[in-house]
Order: sequence, then C-alpha cells, then structure tokens
Amino acid sequence: MVSDVLLAPEKQGGRGPVAGLKVLDFTHVFAGPFCTRTLADLGADIVHVESRQRDPGDRHRAAYAHRNKRSISLDLKNEAGHAVATRLAMAADVIVENFSSSVMRRLKLDYDTLSVEHPRLIYISLSGYGHTGPRNAWTSMNMNLQAYTGLMMTTGSEGDPPTSISNSWNDYMGGLHGVMAILRALSERAVSGCGRNIDLSQFECSVATLGPLLMASAVSGRPPKRAGNRSSSAAPQGVYPCTGEDEWCTLRIETGAQWRALATLIGAPELANDKRLASAVGRMRHHDELDARIGAWTRQRSKFEAEELLQRAGVPAERMRRVAEIVESPDCGEVYKPVPSDRPRPVLACSLPFTFSRSTVAAVTPSCRLGEHTEEVLHDWLGIDDAEIAALERRGGFV
Amino acid sequence: MVRVLDLTRQAGVYATRLLAEEGHEVIRIESPAGDDLRHLGPFLGGVPGIEDGAYHQFFNAGKRSLALDLTTAEGREAFERLARTAGVIVASTPLPLSEDELRALRPELVLVVITGEDRSELLAYARAGLLSITGHPGRMPVLMGGHIVYAATGAWVMVAAAAALLVQQLTGEGQTVTVDIQQCFETFLDHAVENYTAKGRTTERRGHRGAVTPISGAFPSEDGFWMLSLHDSLERWKTLMDWMQDPVLADDESLLNYDERLKHRDLILDRIGTWAQAFPKQDLVIEAQRRRIPSAPVSTSLELAEDVQLIDRRFLVQAAHPVHGKMLFPRGALATVWDQDIGFAPALGSANAELLGELGYTPEEQVLLFERSVS
Repeated sequence: MVSDVLLAPEKQGGRGPVAGLKVLDFTHVFAGPFCTRTLADLGADIVHVESRQRDPGDRHRAAYAHRNKRSISLDLKNEAGHAVATRLAMAADVIVENFSSSVMRRLKLDYDTLSVEHPRLIYISLSGYGHTGPRNAWTSMNMNLQAYTGLMMTTGSEGDPPTSISNSWNDYMGGLHGVMAILRALSERAVSGCGRNIDLSQFECSVATLGPLLMASAVSGRPPKRAGNRSSSAAPQGVYPCTGEDEWCTLRIETGAQWRALATLIGAPELANDKRLASAVGRMRHHDELDARIGAWTRQRSKFEAEELLQRAGVPAERMRRVAEIVESPDCGEVYKPVPSDRPRPVLACSLPFTFSRSTVAAVTPSCRLGEHTEEVLHDWLGIDDAEIAALERRGGFV
Repeated sequence: MVRVLDLTRQAGVYATRLLAEEGHEVIRIESPAGDDLRHLGPFLGGVPGIEDGAYHQFFNAGKRSLALDLTTAEGREAFERLARTAGVIVASTPLPLSEDELRALRPELVLVVITGEDRSELLAYARAGLLSITGHPGRMPVLMGGHIVYAATGAWVMVAAAAALLVQQLTGEGQTVTVDIQQCFETFLDHAVENYTAKGRTTERRGHRGAVTPISGAFPSEDGFWMLSLHDSLERWKTLMDWMQDPVLADDESLLNYDERLKHRDLILDRIGTWAQAFPKQDLVIEAQRRRIPSAPVSTSLELAEDVQLIDRRFLVQAAHPVHGKMLFPRGALATVWDQDIGFAPALGSANAELLGELGYTPEEQVLLFERSVS
C-alpha cells in the first residue's frame, strides 16, 4: 500500500520534517548512506536492504554510515527474498540506490519496472557520473572525483602537485544534493500525486561547487591561479609553523589596527611604522618577507601559546586543531554527539549542523546490525505475521 | 514555488542559488553599493568590476537583484512590504525586523538564520580540524581552494531550508531554522572523528596519495597527472597486478592480504607511479576503466569548462552572456536533474523598478528612494 503520510500531515511540533517517510535504502559507501542518514536525522524511517553475502564486514559498519537506520537482510537472488524486496518497494515513498544502472534493472527493482504499479514512488540513483553521457559506465570513487572535478588542482599553491583532502568530500556533496532532490520531489508529489526518477551525478554535484572557476576559465581560457593559504583581499594571511612536529597556527590581518598589533607582538615595531606596509596592498606586495618574520616568531612558540597571544593582542588567529582536539575541546565539536554504546570510550557521531524552531531532529542512535530489524520491518511496513516470516525464512529469503 | 529573499553572504549563497535552480523566485537584496560577493575575484574578463566577479556570476545566477539600504527607515519599510510576500528568507546579515515582527507579518514564513560566519574562512577551517587533513604530509597544511568549503556549507543551508519549506507546504506552518557555519565545517570531519573515537585511528594528510582508499593516488603520466583508486578487494588487486605486470609486487604473496597492502602502501604507490610515467594519461584512464578500476584524469577547471560528460548531460549549456559573449554556462546539479534554465546573474538593482512598483511605490517615490541612495 502506498504511504499517504505526507499528504495527510499532522502538525509539525515535535516531529521531524519528513517524519513517517518510508525510505528503502539500497546504498553502499558513502554518498548513498550519507544521503539516507541525513534523511533519518530529518525523521524518515530508513530501511537499509543488505545481504550477508555482500557484507563487507565490520570495517564498514560504522555509525557514520549506518546509524539511525533499520537493517533488513534479504537475498535478492532468491525468489522469496526478491518478492519481499518488491513488496517493500511498493510500500516505500522513496528508494535510494547507488549501484550501476544495470544492477537494479537486472533485479527488476528499477524505476521503470516499479513505477508502473507505484506511480507515487520517488526513485533516486546517486551514481558517479549519472546514467547518461559518455562517462556513464565509468566507475568512480571519492579520490577519482576529487581529481576529475578540479578540486585537487584548485587546492594548494602554484606549481604544487595535485592536493587532496583526506575525507570523502565528493560523497558529502553527492549525499547532500541527493537529500535536496528528494525533498524537492516530495514537494512536487504533494501537488501532482506523482513521484519521479532522479538521475543525480555526484560528479556534477562537486563540479557545481567549483562553478565560479569554470566560468572564469571559460572566459579567460586559462586555469585559475592556485592561491594556497593566501587571500585575495587581506594580507598577511597564512599558516605558520609552531614548535613540535607538524603544528601550525593561522592568522589573518584585515585592518591597520590588527597589523600594528601583530607587528608589535612579534617584536617588530619598525614594521608597524613602515609606511610601505600601512596598506593591505603594501603588505600583499611584501607577503613573503612578512611570512618569514611572522614564522620566525611562531617557531619559538607552541601553537596554543601563539594562538592565545595573537588573540589577546586582537589579531584574528586559530591554531590548527587535530581530530583529537575537536573531540576533546569543550569549545568546539558541538555537532558531534555520543552514540549510546557499551564501549568504554564514547563513540561520537555527527548530527545535523542546524536546529528547527518547531520540527525536531532525531537523536543519534547506534549503528544498525546487519538484519537486526528484519522481522520488525516486515511487521511495520507489510503487516506480515510471524507464520509468514517463518515460511519466507524456510524458502531462503533472508540471507 | 515561493518567493525567496536572499540576504546571504559567502557561506550561505549557494543555498539560494540552489533554490533558484529548483525554480523558486529568488530576490537578492543588496546594499546600493553591491554586496561583498560582487567584490570577490577572479573576474570574468580579468578586470575588477561589480558585475564581473566569478563568484557573483555563478552563485547569483537565476536571481533578481534589489538594491536597498536596509539601515534607513525607507529601506526598512520597503523590506517590510516585501517580507509580506515572501515564503522564505535566508539571511546571514542582520535583518531590519526582528523574528517576532516578521512572524507577525507572515506567520507561515520560513526564516533561515545563518550564524557563525564571522570567523574568516581559513581560521574556521583550522578550528574545525579540516586544515589538519588537507595537503601533503610533511608540508604546510592548506585550505581547500576556490572557497569550495563555502559551497559545501551552502549545501547544508539548502538542506535545512528545503526541509522547512516542505513542512510549510504540507502543514502551512512556518518556523525558524538556525544553521551554524562552524558546525557545518565540522561535519566534514565525521569519518575521521569516528575512526578516532571508535578505533583510536588518526587521519593524516596524504597529499595526492591514499587519502581515504589506501591504494589510490594521482600519479604523473607522460603528459600530466591521472588518478587511480583501487577498491580494497582482493579481486581488484589481482586485476591491477595483471595489468601492471610488476615484478616486485606481483611475486609478493603477502600482498594478497589487505592489511599487508595497507602496511606497504607507499611502496605500492611508488611502483605504480614509476610504471605509469611511460604512458599518456588518457590511455591509462581508458584502460583502467576497461578493467573496471576507478580512474580519472586530474583536471583543472579549464578542462572541465569543456568536459564532454558535462556537455552531454546539459550541465553545461550554450548561452550568450550580455558582456562576455557566448560561453558554456554551468547550470548546476539540481538544474540539470530538473532541466531548469538559469539566467545569468543580475546587474545590481536591475529588478528595482519592477519590484518597487509591485510593492506600491509610485515612479515619483522610486525617484526619491534613488536620490536618497536608499535604492
């Protein structure tokens, strides 16, 4: 039966924005799981379809991918398992998948097959390059997309080798745009009564974040300059070495007063009075020289001391924090919440970086175990009773 | 579709661009001197000017521009009239009306308030831990280029706004959403935070090699860099060995074990780098893809500006810019899905006459507002 929850909404107070939304999740690392995790935070009921045969092991059962979801274990190649998946699809508002296009078609779980009897279905595919175009069959992973989207040749300074960020950057971009597309399709469905197929390209999601530079290059015929840590509008700005291994402090000078405070602090009052350096243009012109002077001062200090002295003098500065400091400092890392667990040390999971005045955001729950909610989901979504579940089990549906 | 009042700065401006991509009417309210985004380079054509900033041109595309000085009584009054017609206001600059006043004018309003944007980009990036994972090992860490991180925070703002808009549509209820930019920065560390708190494992800068997937990297080829990333499975490892025919790696049976490959990844990456230098990058990428190994060219935005995939899917469309002429214009990821056409960014104040007229200002009153530098 088609869920009509979003057509007959209760008032929002105390509920998530998409409370009651049934999402069938056929995703694996990481854009897809991040997309459905975010929907879960917004109140959706996420049922993650998995198979023990495909289980990549505990390494991937991390809270950042699987928390706040329910897991059902199905053998999609078994007739009984496949029949259950199809019934779940018919009961779902949204299906999210990130297999290559042929996989879901082969399983007869593609949009064209399902939408014949379920026109309200919203079906989103989050593939690397999209399901059309000359690159549609290309396989992709985060690092490929960091390379191809231009991110690696935009980060760093002129002449540097390609430079990456050590996270799944493109999965975040793909997942966030996936959430937006689903919310938009829900809005559309509320008016038209019809769902839709969404072919979202992770590549395009990331390229869009570099849209300004594409336009600049299209007009100039040149790649843009790589700025490193400098700013085009303020000087000096940079990352300066401190005592210890790989410890750094950042600062940025926007005003003349900040500049004089910095020069005085680093024991160079003659710089504070140097007319050549009174303006940002002048300081930009002598940036290398100033970096050397600032670096000579920071090198004598820990990043904590440098940060504190700079801030106290009125110079905007922040030390480079490592992951441990985010977790352990009381003054940052607010977005991380402890996951309920029996481990000796609390595991932290990322929540949403925003709050609603009426709607609520789901509290962080532990990562679902594979197949943990199989029976519960069959009861809730399909009204299947224990006897029928036992029959399906005998026929090998739940593997 | 609703009317959106856009008072964002850099960290939120992608959100209102995305609302325009979805077909909403987005009105960017700027000071009569033009907003900060217009002053951010690079500039199309290479010469600084308030209509030519690349960030303005991309992120304000598809919007209307209303120049209005909100610090004056007249500006405040015009804003009040406009707010009565708005479905959503997205703001990171102070509003001339309080939340309660806005709510009284327009109970169903979605008000998206952006906080925590005062800390500058590099400093926020360092504070959020992202600086510690960006760049090359043993070298100075580096901010992500192109202000990309602000597009990512804008994406979070959009998720928040879109969720509240859906609630508004379905229930008629308005609400206020508060998005914290520093927390948005922090979210992109979540994998690293969990690795640390669950497994005691730290995340380091890896430059262009093995940042997340151990056997991955940008390697020099005969004619520029290409990227390869190998899935952790044994099957993929064997595929690579079959292709490379490397005498050192192929004979080492211990490398059939994932943990051994992880331990010796630098050796493996060095061998791949040396081997690949003899081939052109396009050949390497095509052959890797033929073998189902994820691979891609390392591109600059110049190469992307004419990319075949982006053109084929109409992410890039031919358009004639009024000043800069014919170009391939990036519509955006959502606009591509919905096949939504997006106009070029508006000239400063170009919607003033139309909007002020709609709000009931006579031509004489509009002249007065202009002469008093309110509009």
